[in-house]
Parts: sequence; structure tokens; C-alpha cells
Amino acid sequence: MTMTPRLRNLALTAHVTSSVGWFGAVAGFLALAVTGLTSQDAQMVRAAYLAMELTAWFVIVPLALASLVTGLVQSLGTTWGLFRHYWVLVKLVVTIFATIVLLMQTQPISYMAGVAAETTLSSADLREARISLVAHAGGGLVVLLVPAILSVYKPRGRTRYGRRKQHESIRSSGDTAHVEGEPATNA
Amino acid sequence: MKIDDDTGVGPGRGSPPRTPRWVKVFGIIAILLVLLFVVSLLAGGSHGPGRHTPSGDAGRHTPPSGVTDNGVQQP
Repeated sequence: MTMTPRLRNLALTAHVTSSVGWFGAVAGFLALAVTGLTSQDAQMVRAAYLAMELTAWFVIVPLALASLVTGLVQSLGTTWGLFRHYWVLVKLVVTIFATIVLLMQTQPISYMAGVAAETTLSSADLREARISLVAHAGGGLVVLLVPAILSVYKPRGRTRYGRRKQHESIRSSGDTAHVEGEPATNA
Repeated sequence: MKIDDDTGVGPGRGSPPRTPRWVKVFGIIAILLVLLFVVSLLAGGSHGPGRHTPSGDAGRHTPPSGVTDNGVQQP
């Protein structure tokens, strides 16, 4: 079912907002993670890990899920489709991967926040776990760049399924001389 | 007439369009990362979220060696 232009713009707005918001939230999370790892101020360290847990659960996770859902709505509700173009397919795979890793990371994030709330962490305590949080946040930022770049550049390339769908559309229109162009850009 | 080179229509009509290079590059990078992950698992390291937390219990926290909140040193 193809959305009306008004609905399409609404869905697009929701998708862009949640996706870019996800990226920004992870950038903020990274700053907190670096602070938690490097700061010598015990209060600052505690505050950083407590803020990381709140940010993760109430900002990053909702935005990630919203980005995934709105992306699905965008693709299924327009002629782009979900499996017709490689850039859409790769975006979907990367977004699902990033969401899974994020959900897996909520456990160590909550654990660190719990420890920080109960004790005063020295610079040597749980160092590996703290470095891991920084590494995952940094890696997450890099991974989230991929869907952003694909959305803007929309590199060409139809999947086999997409080509078959296009041929069916051409045949059904009865005009083999006219070749269907790419759908109207919606992002 | 706009030719969409995705469709295979046009010169070389008989041969289907090849997978774009950027998709192949992305696929290779993804496979390498997966292999790296598998190798790190086989090398004995765990990459699960539980490797930095007390095993099987994320709700109760074992405080690290250091001072508690009220400044009392742990034995």
C-alpha cells in the first residue's frame, strides 16, 4: 500500500528525526562513557554512569526502535520497497544489527550504573568493562553513519527481486520501450 | 528516454546487471567482521555482555575492591 504524499512526509519526518536523534544520543553517551573512564572526580564518575543508564533506557533504546519501525513503514509504504534496492536492504540489516547490539549492551550499562551508585569507583575498578562501554559507543557511532550515508546518496543497484518487480511493472503497463525511473526521492 | 541501468534493459540486454561494487565491498567487510568475531570467540574470549558482569545475576552487584559509599574500606 503506497502512502499519500502527506502521510509519506510525516513518516519521513519521524524516520529522519528518530534516526538522527539516535546518532546524537549515542554521541552524548560516548562523552559520558569517556568521562566515566577518565575522570578523577569520584562524583563525576558516578554521575556519568548513572546518566548513561538513563540515557540508554529512556533515549537511545526508544529512538533506535522508532528508527527501525519508521524505516520499515517508509520502505513498505512507498515504491522503494524493503527488498528491491540494495541501499534499503543494507540500511535494514545495519539498523537491525545496531539495535541488537544496543539491547545487548543495556545489561553492562545497568550493571555499571548499579556499581557506581553503591560504591566509589577507582580508576582501576572494572576498567575493562568501562573501556568496553566507550568502544561500543564509538563503534556504534561509526555503524550509524552507514545508514545516514546510504539515505543521502542512495547508491544505485536493484536486487534480483527488485528487478523482477520492475519487469513485472513494465510488462503490466504494456510499454516495453519506456523504462521506469527511480521512485521520487523521499529523503 | 531515461535508461535505468538497474533493469538490464539496453546494451547487453541478455546479461543480467551485476551486483554493484559497493554492495560487494560492504559484504566483504561484513564477512570479515563476522569472521573476526568468530575467531575471537574460538580464541577463548567471550564477547557477550555478561563477560564484565557477575555471572548469571545482573540484579545483584558485587562491589569492586575499593571503598564503599560511606568510606569504609572493604576487608
